[in-house]
Amino acid sequence: MHAIRPAMMLGLVLFSVFGMIEGSFAAVGCDLNDPDRDVARLFPGATGYKTIYVSIERRGGPELLKNIEERLGDSFRGIYETIDVPYTIYEIMQGTERIGYIHGVNAKGQYGGIQVFLALDLNGVIQNFYFQKLTSRFGKELRSHNFGAQFIGLSLKDFYHYNVVTGMLDGNSTAARITNPVPEAEADFKATLRAVKKNLILMDEFVYGNRYLHYCMTCRAQERR
Amino acid sequence: MTIVHIACKNLLRKKVRSLLTMFGIALSAWVLISLFGFNAGYESSLNRDIDSLGYQVLVTAKGCPYEAATLMLKGGTGLRYMPQRIADAIAQESEVEAVTAMLMHTVFDPNKGESGGYSAYLGVDPTTFPKMKPFMEFMHGGWFTQPDALEAVLGYEAAELEQREVGDLLLITEKNIEVKVVGVLKRTGTQDDGTIFLPLRTVQQIFGVTDVLTGIGVKLKHEADITRFEEKMYRLPDVQVVTMSQVKQTIMTLVTTAKVIVLSIALIAVLISMTGVMNTVLMSVMERRQELGILKALGATSLDIFMLIWLETFVLCVLGSCFGAVVAVTTSALTDMLVRNILPYAPRGGLMQISMPLVVMTVGTVTGIGLVSGIYPSWQAGRVRPLDAIRSQEE
Repeated sequence: MHAIRPAMMLGLVLFSVFGMIEGSFAAVGCDLNDPDRDVARLFPGATGYKTIYVSIERRGGPELLKNIEERLGDSFRGIYETIDVPYTIYEIMQGTERIGYIHGVNAKGQYGGIQVFLALDLNGVIQNFYFQKLTSRFGKELRSHNFGAQFIGLSLKDFYHYNVVTGMLDGNSTAARITNPVPEAEADFKATLRAVKKNLILMDEFVYGNRYLHYCMTCRAQERR
Repeated sequence: MTIVHIACKNLLRKKVRSLLTMFGIALSAWVLISLFGFNAGYESSLNRDIDSLGYQVLVTAKGCPYEAATLMLKGGTGLRYMPQRIADAIAQESEVEAVTAMLMHTVFDPNKGESGGYSAYLGVDPTTFPKMKPFMEFMHGGWFTQPDALEAVLGYEAAELEQREVGDLLLITEKNIEVKVVGVLKRTGTQDDGTIFLPLRTVQQIFGVTDVLTGIGVKLKHEADITRFEEKMYRLPDVQVVTMSQVKQTIMTLVTTAKVIVLSIALIAVLISMTGVMNTVLMSVMERRQELGILKALGATSLDIFMLIWLETFVLCVLGSCFGAVVAVTTSALTDMLVRNILPYAPRGGLMQISMPLVVMTVGTVTGIGLVSGIYPSWQAGRVRPLDAIRSQEE
């Protein structure tokens, strides 16, 4: 027994040190830091929530990724926006009744990662907006209630008019009303709008059965389906 | 016809016996080379693995054994520092191979989460820290360009969370200072994955804490006694030590045990080989007693007979050990694979390290031992009296 214990200890230590090196690691997702507190705050009236984990890789693979990129009007960029990123969807309950969803995505800001969470009703309309993480010189302005309130009531239909590459909004779009509180924070503002559009597209694919797909007039994905 | 030709002809007269004897010697050589090759390979791979663990001892200011935890709990305030000169003092110790100085600092970021959060930065010495962590590889970029550059290297998970790539900027919010990302590390499976590294001097300058450290990583020499070193460290004022001594000692105990086992098996292999050679040559001498008697009657001296039999032994040993060496070298990859499957833990890298000096030494040793074993049968052969030998044939 005495001879086994050091061997076991060594095995455990070495496994933890070296085993992990060879192991596989999932990409980083975007979860609420404190779901109990955040759900109650973002969805007043909620009494509980269920957590669903999905990824583009498991849901539809490269073909789904292509469709999502087409709807977004941009390819998934960087080394961290990958097909295997796990997305956490919080299904919000009021008693036994489902009343909406909360979902967050990571985005690349000027000085660090931005985490944008949206509280959505059962029709995919934004009920609340929340920056969980934001590193910016103008964080205070971007996290202000006034800025977040601009997103409330909008849906994916409104964001199809936003070009995430050029950062241009079609004047006829309701989303065109969203204003950048600080001109110097342009990079973070654009990253936020891209994150919101991406968030809504993912939710439409994962939860809403592509009910907003027909609004995407330039999408060939619509023809394929 | 030379004595070498006669010896070879004699060996060929009993082909099966000669082959079996050679095979026995080859087996001994094979076992010896494989065992010593494994011993060398295992030890060097294990040492490499231990080295890749980085520093084995972490010296921190007293009251701050787990600096990161303290930082998180206290939010960077109330940190305990130690003077940088302690690092120089530790470097002078005879057991020390290298030291690396570190300074961790956190800043409060009001925009992190609902009620703000802390970002931690680890200041490292770009000249010593990378050598302590040889397993660290860059996915993109490299280490800092200057010891006081406003640059950052990110562990994989830190880069993933911050969505940073080489060339991007990081903002140290509290100080409103931008640093440029110059490197993103590959995953290591350690806490380094979530770390943001900055040059030590940069951290000291930014946070106004010059000439102080929160940690000193110490890498000891292989032969160093960690426990003794630990005791020495406790004599330094206001520091405490976190070591991996138990792990390293356990590993080294296992290596020593393995060495003893290997040497015991090698000794047994040598004894079997010696007995086999002696038995075979002695048997051959007994069978050829009359023949040796006739040779003596024809004028061969005792020394000639001794040399003839000894030469036969030599040829058997040289051929057998060379064959064994060839087999050991050609099957080393297979042996490596088999051993790796059997062992509960095998370090990374080759387990078999068969070098030319090892092969030459083994062939020489086996031949030498064979020759020693052949002395008695050869001496017996030299002592054969012609009349006794001829008479024994008549009987």
